[in-house]
Amino acid sequence: MSIMEYNGGSVVAMVGKDCVAIATDMRLGQQSIGVAHNFEKVFPINDKLYYGLPGLASDVYSLREHLRFRVNMYRMKEEREITPKTFTHLLSSTLYEKRFGPWFLEPVVAGLPAPTEMEPHPKPFISTMDTIGCITTPKDFAVAGTATDKLYGVAEGLWEPDLEPEDLFETISQTLLNAVDRDALSGWGAVVHVITHDKVITRTLRSRMD
Amino acid sequence: MAMHAERSAALHELTSAPIQHAFNPYEDNGGTILAIAGKDFSVIAGDTRQSQGYSIQTRYARKVWQLTDRAVLATNGFAADGNNFVKKVKQRLEWYEHAHHKQMPLKSIARMIQTILYGKRFFPYYVYNILGGIEEDGTGAVYSYDPVGTYERESCRAAGAAQSILQPFLDNQIYFKNQTPEPGAEPFIPGNLPLSTVLALVVDSFTSATERHIEVGDGLEVYVVMKKGRPTDDLVGEGKLAPGMAVEELDALGEGDGEKTFLVTRSLKRD
Amino acid sequence: MFLTRSEYDRGVNTFSPEGRLFQVEYAMEAIKLGSTTVGITTPEGTVLAVEKRVPSPLLESSSIEKIMEIDAHIGCAMSGLTADARTMVDHARVTSQMHAFTYDESIGVESCTQAVCDLALRFGESVEDDDALMSRPFGVALLIAGIDEKGPQLYHTDPSGTFVRYDAKAIGSGSDAAQQSLQDAFHKQMTLVEAHTLALKVLKQVMEEKLDENNVQLAQVTREHGFEILGETELKQVIEGIPA
Repeated sequence: MSIMEYNGGSVVAMVGKDCVAIATDMRLGQQSIGVAHNFEKVFPINDKLYYGLPGLASDVYSLREHLRFRVNMYRMKEEREITPKTFTHLLSSTLYEKRFGPWFLEPVVAGLPAPTEMEPHPKPFISTMDTIGCITTPKDFAVAGTATDKLYGVAEGLWEPDLEPEDLFETISQTLLNAVDRDALSGWGAVVHVITHDKVITRTLRSRMD
Repeated sequence: MAMHAERSAALHELTSAPIQHAFNPYEDNGGTILAIAGKDFSVIAGDTRQSQGYSIQTRYARKVWQLTDRAVLATNGFAADGNNFVKKVKQRLEWYEHAHHKQMPLKSIARMIQTILYGKRFFPYYVYNILGGIEEDGTGAVYSYDPVGTYERESCRAAGAAQSILQPFLDNQIYFKNQTPEPGAEPFIPGNLPLSTVLALVVDSFTSATERHIEVGDGLEVYVVMKKGRPTDDLVGEGKLAPGMAVEELDALGEGDGEKTFLVTRSLKRD
Repeated sequence: MFLTRSEYDRGVNTFSPEGRLFQVEYAMEAIKLGSTTVGITTPEGTVLAVEKRVPSPLLESSSIEKIMEIDAHIGCAMSGLTADARTMVDHARVTSQMHAFTYDESIGVESCTQAVCDLALRFGESVEDDDALMSRPFGVALLIAGIDEKGPQLYHTDPSGTFVRYDAKAIGSGSDAAQQSLQDAFHKQMTLVEAHTLALKVLKQVMEEKLDENNVQLAQVTREHGFEILGETELKQVIEGIPA
């Protein structure tokens, strides 16, 4: 039995034109038994930055609280919002602290960096890492969870550069839905967040419930 | 040295019991295959890389085989088993032709493959098969198998190393899963796509699989079987195929009843 | 050892100096003693008709079975030692089912006939020390009627394992006269009903007893309904239609 496959669940993030999207399924299981269909695995840091934590459900709760603490500390000390890139490194070092007894999670981060003087037109940002915090920052999409292979396949086929928010929504939704439908451990509903400069579009998707 | 002595003493005790040496007769040679059925054609494709663990044995090993004028078989899994399986199927096809004075129809090949596979239920051919071709009523067909002969007729199927990468993509693009037609628009019907679309999907599928899977790549072979009398102008002719692709018509194997088989080739990334 | 001519009668697989297999030839003779059997092919289907000899009024005529189903689309009629035909029909049935199981299609009529003939040739055969499965040739001839993608067909098999296709064929004791009648009356565009009538008419000519629904059997193989033995009412209807 793999701990990474004990509860099931998947997350995907995608880059669009001046927007990013991140989506998760809603299943919580105990191996082949479905337990809940309202288990979201994607959480906001602020309205420009979201992250997903597919993996062991108990670690989802613990790490989420751990990160809330660390991000709040950052906010108070720095008196500014954390950027997606900084958050990725915060997350990474948090994971690496437990190098030899890791969190059983594969986080995915998606955010729109705020414009700065140094960088007036920052690029949409996504990143992902393994259980011990080794970061990758793809230009197109990031996937994690029990439906990783399937997500790669559909995303590789559907994604294209510079998608507008609505098109990005359709692309990430189709990617997630079709991938989790072929994964026994993921599915049972989905949530998609599309982060744009002026709002976050959050939609709940109906999906196969088998 | 002391450790060595200790071990040999332990070894001595062990040798009093029989030692079993296991021989593993199977190997996974990677690669991926895929087939899609159209209304009056069928497309059967496979990559040409053959690997053993992290090593590439060859960049060109055939996995897709023309069986008759209307049937093409793709095999994936253990190459030695696959090759021998195809040999056996071809032999049975020849025997059938001698006994019954006709080429075996597709559905009969499909059933025969089941019986051959199940015949080795307790020492199976470690092969995942996909059979594609034209049915007696002229429709394009795809049959997929597990190693012991469970089979099913479908509109499309991927198998092999990149099955998990390709199948959900095909579910979406061929079966229109999770898609709804616009209000008032025609309903989606799987297995009705034009050849050009299907071919593009096959190429996209394999480039995706090549990108993400180490066991997929090097070359792509796509067999296209067309119903008799079907126009071929959407495949053959100037500018019909994407750059880097080549097509040749294959000779009829039997009487030449009118069905046509084409082989479309293309290179895939070699890294 | 000196071999007399009659010595060649003993071994079923021994040729005589003239190149004959006497046991096979004698088996052919057994057929000429059998009741007359007729088969006719039409574009609509194939018809089989047999005479049932009822030697005693105490005999239950329906227990005489000379037309048998092989598969839904193939039937056969026999003449000669009908007990031998059981073995052949059994073999044909198994072969047909095996074909359907292996190839998901019904067996061809010719292939089925070929399978029967393969068996017919296996007399006297033995594997190493085992006793031969069949000690003598079959003493029966079959008319195998069926329909497949090549259309309605009629085959004749004999104890030598030879099979030939016919448009119309008669076997058994009255076969010579019956064959002549068939030759005179048969034409390629015959309807199924015409074939029914002709078959019974031909039987009637060669039968010693007066033909009625109890001493003949009629069957047909059509594309629509496959093999079927005609019931008493249908049979009576055909008998009534025979010109006097």
